[in-house]
Amino acid sequence: SSSQVVRDSAKKLVNLLEKYPKDRIHHLVSFRDVQIARFRRVAGLPNVDDKGKSIKEKKPSLDEIKSIINRTSGPLGLNKEMLTKIQNKMVDEKFTEESINEQIRALSTIMNNKFRNYYDIGDKLYKPAGNPQYYQRLINAVDGKKKESLFTAMRTVLFGK
Amino acid sequence: ETAQDSPELLAKSSHLNSKPLDVSNKAPVKTAQNKIPLAHSKYESSKYELPKWKEALGELVIRAFHLDMDRVRAGPVAGSYYYKICKEQGLQYEDEPLSETAKYFYEDLKLPRTFSQWFQITVLHEWILFVRMRAMPFKYGRNYQQKLVDRTFSDIELRLFEEMKVNSGRIADQYLKDFNTQLRGAIFAYDEGFATDDGTLATAVWRNLFGGRKNIDMVHLESVVRYIYSQLYVLSRLSDREFATGKFKFVPPGVKVEKLTPKQEEELKAKTIAKYEALDKDPKTLPSERSRLSYTN
Repeated sequence: SSSQVVRDSAKKLVNLLEKYPKDRIHHLVSFRDVQIARFRRVAGLPNVDDKGKSIKEKKPSLDEIKSIINRTSGPLGLNKEMLTKIQNKMVDEKFTEESINEQIRALSTIMNNKFRNYYDIGDKLYKPAGNPQYYQRLINAVDGKKKESLFTAMRTVLFGK
Repeated sequence: ETAQDSPELLAKSSHLNSKPLDVSNKAPVKTAQNKIPLAHSKYESSKYELPKWKEALGELVIRAFHLDMDRVRAGPVAGSYYYKICKEQGLQYEDEPLSETAKYFYEDLKLPRTFSQWFQITVLHEWILFVRMRAMPFKYGRNYQQKLVDRTFSDIELRLFEEMKVNSGRIADQYLKDFNTQLRGAIFAYDEGFATDDGTLATAVWRNLFGGRKNIDMVHLESVVRYIYSQLYVLSRLSDREFATGKFKFVPPGVKVEKLTPKQEEELKAKTIAKYEALDKDPKTLPSERSRLSYTN
């Protein structure tokens, strides 16, 4: 049946997402983890933590929401009504065979670097004349491969590169 | 694949009827009455013409003091023109119809029509320009970046007071600090994605432009990645001289950017070189129109 097809496609999507590049630095939310959890649910797979224990989906209780509102001034536009909306909006998504296959195709396109390869921008922008080492230094710092020394750091502060 | 060859058609092709959180009525950009114009001063208006005697005096000053026009030009080009085109892309008011580009962001990609969303769209476009500015000679490129950022924050400050009716300087400052943090985070994330792979770039788009939307439509994400590369491709084919004199504009999302064949590329280069060689040789070219930036790269 078509719901079985959707579940199978969702499993494929989960497999694909597991190969998705991991965040180099820690963020509040990780695209990979959030999407894996999302499609595991669609696939009917239990969401498990690192130790293999299944995680119960936790929704914030009204008390928790209240405490969030009382403790912080809140970012732009965030208020009680909206938070309740967020809580209510965690509904099950409806995928069709067509729409879930589009999701797989789009994600594969991204993971295969289709547009990066197609538009092949070249070293003019990847190694910019004004600062050829810019991206390399950024990646080295993020990967922790090469630490900036006090000297190079001060040089960047003073001269901009 | 003909149906999906522009970012807009690609986004529209999705059959996933996702309903992202709609917070649009929480902080709408309402008024069109106190609207801050795209050009703040009369000198920025395309209709304004400097009186002839002022123009002549200006040219004299530039010639007499050997002013570096490539430096001077950063203000009007990056601080005014380039900021204007970044701002326009996602600009919207609740009581006005959306522009064609804005429709792509707010209707096709289903982004909320808020002030902070406008800021994220603007930042994405500024980052695209930053990538090109880094490829200019360092002191000029950096100056262009600085002018663009300076103008962004002076404009936001004005918009917060005039359009969003924030009437406390302290609160406006808080927002400005918040926007500054967002800007730094977004630029860093896009840079990381640009330097590594499209997966990382898409993650940066998801976290910043889409605000980490849980039920993201992957087709929308793909569409934005395509949009970014189309712009960068055009920028990579422009010479420093053209870019620095404000010859770039963003490709609308409904347009597919075709790659140039080697032959077309050669012809385009030859045309640019001929144009600027003639301009540089012409003794009638005004001092303010002169530039030492390369037109061959």
